[in-house]
Amino acid sequence: MNPSRKNKPSTWQYILIGVFLFYMFVPIVSTYIFSVATRWDRTILPEGYTLNYYTQAFKASYFISSLKNSFILSIATVLVGLIIIVPTVYWVHVRVPYTKPLLDVLMILPFGIPAVVLALALVQVYNFAPLARSPVLLIGAVVIYSMPFMYRPVSNAIQAIDVITLTEAGQSLGANTFQLLRRVIIPNILTGIWSGSLLVFATVFAEFTLTKLIVGARFKTFPMLLVEYTRINGNTAAAFSVISFTIAWLASLLILWVGSKGQASYQKAIGAR
Amino acid sequence: MAYLELKNVSKQFGNVTAVRDFNLDIEKGSLVSFLGPSGCGKTTTLRMIAGFEQPDQGTITLDNIDITTIPPNKRDIGMVFQAYALFPNLSVRENVAFGLEMKKFPKNEINQRVSEVLEMVRLTTIANRFPHQLSGGQQQRIALARALAVQPRVLLLDEPLSALDAEVRVALRAEIRRIQSQLAITTVYVTHDQEEALSISDKVVVMNNGCIEQVGSPESIYRQPQTRFVATFIGTANQFSGKVSDDHSVQCEHAQLQVADMRQFSKGEDVVVLVRPESIQIQFEPTHEPNWNLLEGVIETVTFHGAVTRIGVNAHGQRIVADITYSSSTPISLGQHCWLAFRSESCQVMGLEK
Amino acid sequence: MASIKARNRNKLDLLGVVPFLLFCLAFEIVPIILLIRGSLIDKATKAFTIKHYLALGAPLYINSFWNSIKLSGLTALIGCILGTLIAYAIYRWPSTRVQHALVTLSDVTTNFAGAPLAFAFIVILGMNGVITQFLLRYFNLQLYPKFSIYSFSGLVLAYVYFQIPLMILLVIPAFEGLKKEWFESAQSLGASNFQYWWRIGLPLLMPSIIAGLTLLFANAFGAYATAYTLVESQLSLVTLQIGFMIAGEVRHDPGIGMAMSVVSLILMGLSIGIYQLSARRAKWLVKSSS
Repeated sequence: MNPSRKNKPSTWQYILIGVFLFYMFVPIVSTYIFSVATRWDRTILPEGYTLNYYTQAFKASYFISSLKNSFILSIATVLVGLIIIVPTVYWVHVRVPYTKPLLDVLMILPFGIPAVVLALALVQVYNFAPLARSPVLLIGAVVIYSMPFMYRPVSNAIQAIDVITLTEAGQSLGANTFQLLRRVIIPNILTGIWSGSLLVFATVFAEFTLTKLIVGARFKTFPMLLVEYTRINGNTAAAFSVISFTIAWLASLLILWVGSKGQASYQKAIGAR
Repeated sequence: MAYLELKNVSKQFGNVTAVRDFNLDIEKGSLVSFLGPSGCGKTTTLRMIAGFEQPDQGTITLDNIDITTIPPNKRDIGMVFQAYALFPNLSVRENVAFGLEMKKFPKNEINQRVSEVLEMVRLTTIANRFPHQLSGGQQQRIALARALAVQPRVLLLDEPLSALDAEVRVALRAEIRRIQSQLAITTVYVTHDQEEALSISDKVVVMNNGCIEQVGSPESIYRQPQTRFVATFIGTANQFSGKVSDDHSVQCEHAQLQVADMRQFSKGEDVVVLVRPESIQIQFEPTHEPNWNLLEGVIETVTFHGAVTRIGVNAHGQRIVADITYSSSTPISLGQHCWLAFRSESCQVMGLEK
Repeated sequence: MASIKARNRNKLDLLGVVPFLLFCLAFEIVPIILLIRGSLIDKATKAFTIKHYLALGAPLYINSFWNSIKLSGLTALIGCILGTLIAYAIYRWPSTRVQHALVTLSDVTTNFAGAPLAFAFIVILGMNGVITQFLLRYFNLQLYPKFSIYSFSGLVLAYVYFQIPLMILLVIPAFEGLKKEWFESAQSLGASNFQYWWRIGLPLLMPSIIAGLTLLFANAFGAYATAYTLVESQLSLVTLQIGFMIAGEVRHDPGIGMAMSVVSLILMGLSIGIYQLSARRAKWLVKSSS
């Protein structure tokens, strides 16, 4: 509860929030406008508008392939992440709860390892064919890097449902672990799974460091293309940035929507009002 | 003029009227309870005295000064909350000293006052502990000490014992009363527990739905309830509906009741007669004595309450309860036919409320 | 018989976490351990040596560390102070819908770090940037060449962009944890707003603020993409240096890169360690006050 929450916000609040909103919006909105501005270096607002930069951008070499690569990388990371993390989270919560502290530590670790350090370590160790500088190595790295983002929503979801009781109920009806997971557990933690997947997808889609340092030009993703064009052609770079930002906040909205839907159905299920 | 006066105080939250036209005089040095069910406005009124809420209408006067618009940190009022009373990052000593530090007292005086007030609540040994190391009862006592350290003009307590275990509650409320009368500090005490209110107050203000139902000493509230709500909220009351037949009797469905205390009711008016369970005796032979009422019935329930036993009797379809001190020599069994006897003086009559 | 079965079952159960552990070992733990080992080995002689660490004494590397620490520290401090103030402004806002919207905005913008963000700052503060032009035209204020977005100060502005929302997200729950009874008790005891915050509010918020400060530091220290896009080789930062070493591995002795990495890991480890301790204390403070 907020002490003395008055009916109207005071001036300093308006100023602080105003500065905050200005800082957050101006760079982004300017980029959007820049991407459709014919000329904008002499006036407050652009002199004219055009969609040319976008047509140019779509024609850029590697445009389609880089988008494709980014999608492939993101989806692969999500899938691998789901396969190794979801069953593990379930197993730890139900069968070996004493390993949970270990799991928690492993999930904090990626935050303490800068992407460049992970890249260096992996490139040094796996310097032999066929892994050296391969997409497989990259996926491994990206999964590690994005693990916490998949883990947290799934772990929260599992803790929110009474997973042990559900497991015992399923077992008493004759289900083995795979059946349990597939037909009982996963349907009940779908919100967490969706949230985690979307979060990982959005994060990996924007990932640059690991991709550049581990595979480099062999597997050009969309962020890499964007960085290239920031040095070559500002207008195309702007168009790419707009695409990047739009995907990012669309993904965020989707994550929020999934999150709220999950809340609502869970409340209904436990009979809350 | 009374020490603390509330005149025509009202407060609304959106569409809901929390407090409606509240008028009250509180004498200096007295302990006044606000008693009522949840949502009756007692806490809101207390908070307006403290200054945490502003009345929409009306004035609050303390020691002849209008404090209605004075901010809470300048009212010189001590407050004890139901929960989260102590500052978790400060030790007991630092908590108690807080108000004195705000007033910029010199250090040695602060230390002395702190020791005095800790002695008053009988917790001198734990001065260096932190709130999370104390029990609930200890925390509330320190909260009380902290409020009293600055010697406020008024002490306000918002359900201070509600979060505590039953036995701690009983001991602590006696402590609070002892300290309050020792210091003769004007105190307002909010509670929903009638036993608490009746046992420690000089005056009780019974509230319901934002309004005052009745103000009086604990005894008068109990023995002479003036509204149906007060009668049923405080203790238990058997209710008999009927029509006034003459100056001393009310005609109910199955009996005519003799009533001693009759206010100005006109003949034929619909009234309700209230009789407390402890006023009713159980007899197995009908004894007809003057000024005594007699009702026939069958024993339905016998519930042991320790000090008293509550007998539920079915008298012509109406359930009546009587509290008796049960000794095993008196045979009482279910289904037994009996007579309920009570004096006309035990009957309280009140009109129907709109 | 039954107890042996139970013990066996326990052991078998641990097998369930093995795939995950193997994955972490393969792609994270073993490589890092080998990295630490490699930093202490001379590649040619395969003997133990600390020469890679000694080589870090060269001006280039000292500069990198100093720049990275300066950048991370400065943006962490700015993000912490501004973030806390803005979080307070949000916390005291009367409308819950506005509060939710602002927190959601923070959630979205803190993830905007990277090349697109760097580019957005070039759009507004580059040589022909929107704000650059605006200041020139309407205030006769010429930013260039004294100021450049492709510099340390430019990086600070870009980093602060995602540091502030991160701090907001970290510190708003701490504000929510402050019970109104503490504020009202303080008031009844004669405290002004300032005295409440000074004696009660801030001390109770401090663990969360410190947690935020250290997390922001770690966040900035490990960042790469934003810096790469804005300054690439014009400013030496630890992450950029390590990046160069991976790319041009043939020319540089990998040992130095590994030594730099190990020092970075130590710094990050310290930061995350302090973060964990502070965050735990913050949670404890909230729980213990009942």
